[in-house]
Amino acid sequence: MSKKTRYFVLVSGAILTVGLGTGLVASYLGLPVSLLSSAAGPDELQYIPQDAAVVAYANVRDVMNSEFRQRFRQMEPPSKERDEFEQKTGLDIERDIDSVVAAFMPAAEGVTDSPERAAVVLARGRFEAARLEALALEHGGAVEDYKGKRLLTHLDKDPADGTMAVGFVEADLVALGGIEAVKRAIDAGADNRNVMSNNELMRLVAELDNSNAWAVGRFDALARQARLPSEVQSQLPTVSWFSASGHVNGGVSGILKAEARDEASAQNLRDVVRGFLAMAKLQAGSRPGMQQMVDSLQLSGDGKTVALSFSIPSEFFDALESMARQKQGQQ
Amino acid sequence: MSMGFWSASRRVFDLSLGEMLWSRRTIFMALVVGGPVVLAIIVRALDMFGMSALRVNGRTVGGIGVFGVMMWMLFLRFIVPVLAVFYGTALMADEVEDKTLTYLFTRPIPRGAVLVGKYLAYVACTMLVVLPAVMLVYFLVVPFREVPGTFMSLVTDLGLLGLGLAVYGAVFAFVGAYFKRPLVLGLVFTFGWEPTVMVLPGYLKQFTIAYYLQALVPHAMPTDGITSLLQGVFRETPPMAVSLAWLGAYAAVFLWLATRAVERREYVLEQ
Repeated sequence: MSKKTRYFVLVSGAILTVGLGTGLVASYLGLPVSLLSSAAGPDELQYIPQDAAVVAYANVRDVMNSEFRQRFRQMEPPSKERDEFEQKTGLDIERDIDSVVAAFMPAAEGVTDSPERAAVVLARGRFEAARLEALALEHGGAVEDYKGKRLLTHLDKDPADGTMAVGFVEADLVALGGIEAVKRAIDAGADNRNVMSNNELMRLVAELDNSNAWAVGRFDALARQARLPSEVQSQLPTVSWFSASGHVNGGVSGILKAEARDEASAQNLRDVVRGFLAMAKLQAGSRPGMQQMVDSLQLSGDGKTVALSFSIPSEFFDALESMARQKQGQQ
Repeated sequence: MSMGFWSASRRVFDLSLGEMLWSRRTIFMALVVGGPVVLAIIVRALDMFGMSALRVNGRTVGGIGVFGVMMWMLFLRFIVPVLAVFYGTALMADEVEDKTLTYLFTRPIPRGAVLVGKYLAYVACTMLVVLPAVMLVYFLVVPFREVPGTFMSLVTDLGLLGLGLAVYGAVFAFVGAYFKRPLVLGLVFTFGWEPTVMVLPGYLKQFTIAYYLQALVPHAMPTDGITSLLQGVFRETPPMAVSLAWLGAYAAVFLWLATRAVERREYVLEQ
């Protein structure tokens, strides 16, 4: 074998070895996702367990700073409970929380859902860990370490609800939920076995754009949890995935998407939604404010996808505001 | 003193591997294999600019879906058979054409060992080019976050490519050793016979390699939206064990037939 043949074999073998090695390490040991590619969705997804059926996100900072929120803030009465909560925890939800990610992990079919493992909420913001720890201990809670992360646990008044926990997973990120769910979130982050390797769900996340609040997930998980009447539920299995995203600023705009199991089911669903839209337009005909909103509803989608988009302009809320003021004036 | 069959094959392998890698045919192979790599770079660039490279029914196909399509449509259905035709049929034909066969046949080694050594060199040479290219395509097209969930599919895909190159190579080594116009016959088999009988109902498709090779596709396909599309095309498939057994049998039988043909055939070199 000549020298250049040997070099060629070495280079080729090296590409294969590096590729296979990287894949093996990523599969079995886990590598930080940010190492080689930017993942769709917020960073908090690395703490969401792989079997999550529904994931939701809200950019609290964006929503709180939006004109929409400011408009309603002026109309809100002062809340004593909120002030008390801030005094005890040092946490002003409007100011200190930047974003929230929530996930729902249902048990397998036929297995009873355990509240300790079913849901987890990850909040990113500024937290006074020492103050929260002291507060937890004062109210009969306990403090423990789990894989190097501080956990505050508290047995719920109703034993059926199990033990609730708050885990400080990063300096500015806490996980809240049942103890099992919080521990699984920490595991997901540590082992890199998280929802980011759930291709179907991540595909839906990647399709979302320019929204400051969204939710995606398996529709059957949602329907099972909602305990809908059997007549309604019998119509639902045709929908397999859903996504809802919204952008809140001066107005509110968004899109609801459903993925049916097959094209015929999607067509049926489109027909049903079209019927509802026609009915809504009839109903809204006499009310100008409502008419503007109903006119913004657009049904679209092809193949197995059904999408309904809406856009509520700030003028609509202007009209609502003036109506509310008129009412207050009359009283 | 004559050498044993396998040590003779090894000698021929050593000699042929360098010859094959630095022949003009390798430029053709680099172009064929480089195409998907360039395509993968374009897909990655589109992805970086927020555009989707492939949509099915208005739905964006994810990275692993795109990789699946490239793997099966480009590599397994086109590149592997084409490389096997050009390299496999030339194993003996090149020596005849260059009038160098005499130098090999006058050595004290079994004639069959010449073919086996050259066949092994072909398998090594094509794998050394194709498999790294597939690896590059995978890491370009599939987002890193999807690697843990899809890596085993890649390993299966690499195995399938190796198997495809070995089986097609054995068939075309026989064609090259036995028939007078092997390249034409090989191209007719690859682009005429296989695609035609694959879409015809009946048992004829059992006399193709693609039928068994594609039967392994669903076992390696990632569970993305494109799966249903591909499974629809390759609906009628034998079980995995049967496919593996037939592919193994094809490789062994055709390699044996090729060896026999080389040992018995009288090659006449044109003056």
